Amino acid sequence: MSEELYSKLMGAVIDGEPEDAVQYAKDALEAKLDPLTCINKGLMPGIQKVGELFSTGEYFLPELIIGADAMKAALDVLEPALVGGQEREVVGRVVLGTVEGDLHEIGKTLVGTMLTANGFKVTDIGVDQSPEAFVKAIQEHRADIVGASALLTTTMLQQKKLIEALVSAGIRDQVKVMIGGAPVTDRYAKEIGADGYAEDAISAVDIAYRLMDAPV
Amino acid sequence: MDRPPIEPLRTSRKLSFLDDRQLDDLQESTLQILETTGIQFPSEKALKIFAEHGAIVDQKSQIVKIPRELVFKAMAPLPRYFKLGARNPEFDLDLQEGVSYFTNDGCGHNVIDSLTGEMRASRKSDVGMMARINDYLSSMSFCWTMVSAQDCGVTSPLHEMDITWKNNTKHYQSVTMMGEELCRYGVEMATVLRGSSQEVRLRPPISLIVCTIAPLVQDKEAIEGALVLGEAGIPIVVMSMPTLGTTAPATFAGALAVGDAEVISVAVLTQLANPGTPVFHSLLHAWADPRTAAYVGYPLDSRARYAPVEMAHHWGMPSLGGAFGTESAELDSWQSAAEVATDPLLVALAGAEIVTGIGLRDTYTLLYPEAIILDDDLYHQARYSLLDIEVNPETLAVDVIHAVQPGGHFLSQKHTRNHMRTAMVRGVIHQLDEQGKYRNPVEYAREKVKWILDNHHPEPPPEDVQKELNRILAAADQELKGSV
Repeated sequence: MSEELYSKLMGAVIDGEPEDAVQYAKDALEAKLDPLTCINKGLMPGIQKVGELFSTGEYFLPELIIGADAMKAALDVLEPALVGGQEREVVGRVVLGTVEGDLHEIGKTLVGTMLTANGFKVTDIGVDQSPEAFVKAIQEHRADIVGASALLTTTMLQQKKLIEALVSAGIRDQVKVMIGGAPVTDRYAKEIGADGYAEDAISAVDIAYRLMDAPV
Repeated sequence: MDRPPIEPLRTSRKLSFLDDRQLDDLQESTLQILETTGIQFPSEKALKIFAEHGAIVDQKSQIVKIPRELVFKAMAPLPRYFKLGARNPEFDLDLQEGVSYFTNDGCGHNVIDSLTGEMRASRKSDVGMMARINDYLSSMSFCWTMVSAQDCGVTSPLHEMDITWKNNTKHYQSVTMMGEELCRYGVEMATVLRGSSQEVRLRPPISLIVCTIAPLVQDKEAIEGALVLGEAGIPIVVMSMPTLGTTAPATFAGALAVGDAEVISVAVLTQLANPGTPVFHSLLHAWADPRTAAYVGYPLDSRARYAPVEMAHHWGMPSLGGAFGTESAELDSWQSAAEVATDPLLVALAGAEIVTGIGLRDTYTLLYPEAIILDDDLYHQARYSLLDIEVNPETLAVDVIHAVQPGGHFLSQKHTRNHMRTAMVRGVIHQLDEQGKYRNPVEYAREKVKWILDNHHPEPPPEDVQKELNRILAAADQELKGSV
């Protein structure tokens, strides 16, 4: 029974079926299975397989994203059921958001999905977020990395303000800063003292791994 | 090995650049030229046929004047649509409205050798190599003689056909076969390939380009060869190439009139000799440099891509349209792409039934084997531009748009998963390297040529057929080479 459900959870992630993934997660809890084991034996191997299929060229971005969505949907059911000090193993904790004055969402959301699919725990704080809101979220979620997105030349200046806010809050050395967005460049990232710049959601994963000193 | 299917240019749209009055005036000028100026036919056979059917023939000057009643009467049985057979029946081409079948360019005589990088004269092996590449490419609906087999002497047109059949399973249109003797051998070879003369007539595996000599002269060898093919029911393409200012008036309409009169005079002859012979109309005019009279195929004017096609259709004839054939001798210069970029689009929108000529440089003379891959990209750009846009509930996806809501994204949608793989197609110039950067298209084209030559080996004709073809070739070599 348990092996069958792990396998079903894995299949729902590989096939990109969020509704099925949620149903199997509920079935697992009903069958009194350990939620952490469901994550480690069902969802994680599933998302790893999706990553493999993507890297070999068999899967395209929609398959990757929808696989990650299926995993996230199941996690939303399983994680609240974790008991005691149980916590799923993650590569790192990331807080993501779009900077103040900027309402562009999709780039940041894709980065979040890709990081989730690659084993990061991502907290997406949304768009139009002030430096203070970022600082608060970093502290609350004990983030290893903060990702700040900006799509406009006028709002990319907020990425610099975020770094200044981290310094003021005394947490600059506790968190790595990744920035991205259409007008942002590697050169700009260096100029404002960010730790990493990613051109797209795929390369964001490599950068995040590098910032965590984890194998890419 | 899987090979892509033929992908002709298809469009439900048709652009008319010339109006009915212009077309009528052009046709009238042709009729006047045929009636009053006449066309020179230096062929006793042709003169005899014309005389027997009531044309006014001056035996001394060999000029034939054709009354308009005779023109229309003779042209009546000329078929508007017919079939071009292929070695592989899958590649038989049924001429039809809204479909343009393309082929490679021809007939070049210089080759940039892929091993040495040096220019040299073309050989039979080059013909075979390009026929094999043609066989693989979806842009190639049929095969032209891309370069001449200069190592085979006077029987080279037969050797070109032989090596093409060994490497290509599509319809073959010879650009070089001329003269009664050579064409009789050609028909014999086609009959062996097809199995009977009846089958040749039903699914002709070959056709022939017949060139006129502007202004208003026919080539004896070309005409007499065409009559032999017509007798066997094999289609011919009558091609005129007038040059503005030297072999035609320096005005566009005047050049069209000269060319059209040449083409129609041969069409009339073929119908008088063998009513119902399938004939294409083709008119590829050029310009003369005003200081040197040098041939210029591509000034800043693409009207030549469509005007002759419309004239052909006004006569009720199918058209061989001209495209590509850059003046540039470079493989991949801005000029070599820019000159020809809109050609396939224009010629297809005009409705040409068949179209030459992808893949040569230096005004149809110079072969870089990889050029066909680069030009293929321009072809497919036109093909995609002409594709119909599907508009239906599935493609409109209103339910998906609603599900995503303002500010969301579509990557998580199963609809996206189902359609994204085919939503965008990358051509030769958009191939990516491992870093996701655009690759050098020439490098990619060279790799593709190599891949095709290494991996694509079309089925040659059966052994017994090949044996018989060899016998005919040997007989032709002995008879015709001996006489030179």
